[in-house]
Amino acid sequence: MDPEMVQARSRWQTYAQRWAQVVRLSGWRRYPEVGALAGFLAVFIGFSVIAPYFLTLGSLAGIMTIAAELGLVAVGVTLLMIAGEFDLSVGSVLGVSSMAFALMVRAGWPHLVAFGSALALAAAIGALNGWVVTRGRLPSFIVTLGSMMFWRGVLLAVTGGFPIAYEGTSSLMFALSGRLPGGFHASALWFLAVAGIATVVLTRTPFGNAVFAAGGNPQAARALGVEVHRVKQIGFVLTAVLAALAGIIQFSRFGSVDPLRGEGVELEAIAATVTGGTLLTGGYGSVIGTVLGALIVGMVRNGLVLAGAPAYWYRAFIGLVLVLAVIINLRIRRSAGA
Amino acid sequence: MIRHAHRWILILLALALLAGACAPATPAPTPVQKEFTFYIVSHGGPADPFWGVVLKGMNDAAKVYPVEAKYFGPEKFSIQELVNLLNSAIAAKPDGLAVTITDPKALDEPLRRAIQQGIPVVAINVADPRPEGERIPYMFYIGMDEYLGGVRAAQRMLAVRTPKRAVCAIHEVGHVGLEARCQGFLDEMSKKNVPVEKLDIGTDPTKAVEALKAYFTRNPDTDALLTLGPLGTDPAVKFLKEDNLVGKVLHGTFDLHPGTLSAIKEGVTLFAIDQQQYLQGYMAITWLYLYKKYGLRPANDVLTGPGFVDKDNVGLVEELIKQGIR
Repeated sequence: MDPEMVQARSRWQTYAQRWAQVVRLSGWRRYPEVGALAGFLAVFIGFSVIAPYFLTLGSLAGIMTIAAELGLVAVGVTLLMIAGEFDLSVGSVLGVSSMAFALMVRAGWPHLVAFGSALALAAAIGALNGWVVTRGRLPSFIVTLGSMMFWRGVLLAVTGGFPIAYEGTSSLMFALSGRLPGGFHASALWFLAVAGIATVVLTRTPFGNAVFAAGGNPQAARALGVEVHRVKQIGFVLTAVLAALAGIIQFSRFGSVDPLRGEGVELEAIAATVTGGTLLTGGYGSVIGTVLGALIVGMVRNGLVLAGAPAYWYRAFIGLVLVLAVIINLRIRRSAGA
Repeated sequence: MIRHAHRWILILLALALLAGACAPATPAPTPVQKEFTFYIVSHGGPADPFWGVVLKGMNDAAKVYPVEAKYFGPEKFSIQELVNLLNSAIAAKPDGLAVTITDPKALDEPLRRAIQQGIPVVAINVADPRPEGERIPYMFYIGMDEYLGGVRAAQRMLAVRTPKRAVCAIHEVGHVGLEARCQGFLDEMSKKNVPVEKLDIGTDPTKAVEALKAYFTRNPDTDALLTLGPLGTDPAVKFLKEDNLVGKVLHGTFDLHPGTLSAIKEGVTLFAIDQQQYLQGYMAITWLYLYKKYGLRPANDVLTGPGFVDKDNVGLVEELIKQGIR
């Protein structure tokens, strides 16, 4: 091997070791957010250097707007992933519930009632997912994959393929997605509020402990009296409701919903969650990490256009940067844990 | 009298029973004998608002002619899925096929096989761009000249003023038809030395708006924007309104839906290029029927577009859109 490369590598190792020491000394390594923060900073600094206008208010508002809708879904996905289950149906649930909301407000229902009903519909779908997974002892990956296809199909059949548009506005719709000064949208506040509540619930309540236990070691959890199935079922319901909230927020902004709405969101939410340091295998993770993960996805989307990435390399870059962020995340955490 | 009444009641009852028994056996219109079965295989699922209109055209034609017509399209854009659907359609041995030639290479083998088996094939919506001898030997093409559509879009904008910079926002990257629209626009703009490029915005409206915002932030001199369908129009209109660019940016788009129409009425969007895709479903069935029945066929491709919808004719078109015909 090239001696220079050996040198460079050993230099990298010393850096990593020094980093690890810092991390260990301060006891940070207990927190999954550390790796996510490193990935976040790497992407942030990278784009600040290469993309003009990246550090403008408008650009940050744009990142926040993308991250908010994705992040709302991802917070639910995170809770559920920590509890040891996947939900691939979030994209379809997002579509179905925003379509339901659209149909109800078009039919003249009061917006608040329509909002509540659409969330209740999502909750029912989530409960059904959870029921099939826990009662049938089936892998959630397959159950929710089926659920994703089923609800997408229902959506297509009900609408006959046409988008539903709604011209009206209301204070509820403004509260969900109204424009704030600086190009921000109300959705960002919802996202931060939900993430804050989820963090408190996850780290400071018995239910949070139960979520970690259910995903980490279900047998032990059961032995300790944790109702694992119940915890997972609640997780499925929460995930579906949050997906619905994201969908209705998007509808409130655009006033239209097409039957393909939300397609691909499930994978992006998983990407944000894993980039944020939550383990695919469950039992470990953090909502704050997911917030950072969603912001990374937003930054990548926004930053690449601002950096002038050629149109057709754009998607490839998104994939690359996401994998890089995860690698940085894991490296930091492993060296910290070593 | 009472006895009479009883008798009448009995007679009425008997009649009612008789009528009830007979009703299912003699429905009002006698069922039409279906002479032929035609399939439309398309890259667009019935989910796409655009393809919903083609589907309606197909269904309406199938009501006029004694044929059975079925529509197949993948829910999510996928060439592989399109080829699979086409193969199953051919296996069912229909009397005629109308296919979008979304990927000429991938569809070449199955379509040549179908033609060899004697199944009449017409291309709809997207033609095979290769020259006569090389292309898939389908009978003719029913649809818009996509490239010409892009060229006309650029010409229409250039007639208003010469933009300082133009961008073509594409929501389904790799789709031959959308690429051709974009290319026509790019070529015509380049001829007038207008800097112009493509931008991948995807199908999610929130992300599309942010992609446009980011592009216009990086290139603030951009003053012409072409979108290629409703999934691009909605976010573009939202973006132009939110960033106060209405009137400063020439916005043209393709394909009609209610959002496009109100944008034209409000003056946000200059024009929409319509390809009257109802005809693509309707005429495909009509021509296939006339060909199977009498051996009649048009001498040339049947161009259903590009046609313009702008402030002048938007009211007229609006009514038809409500009916799902445009």
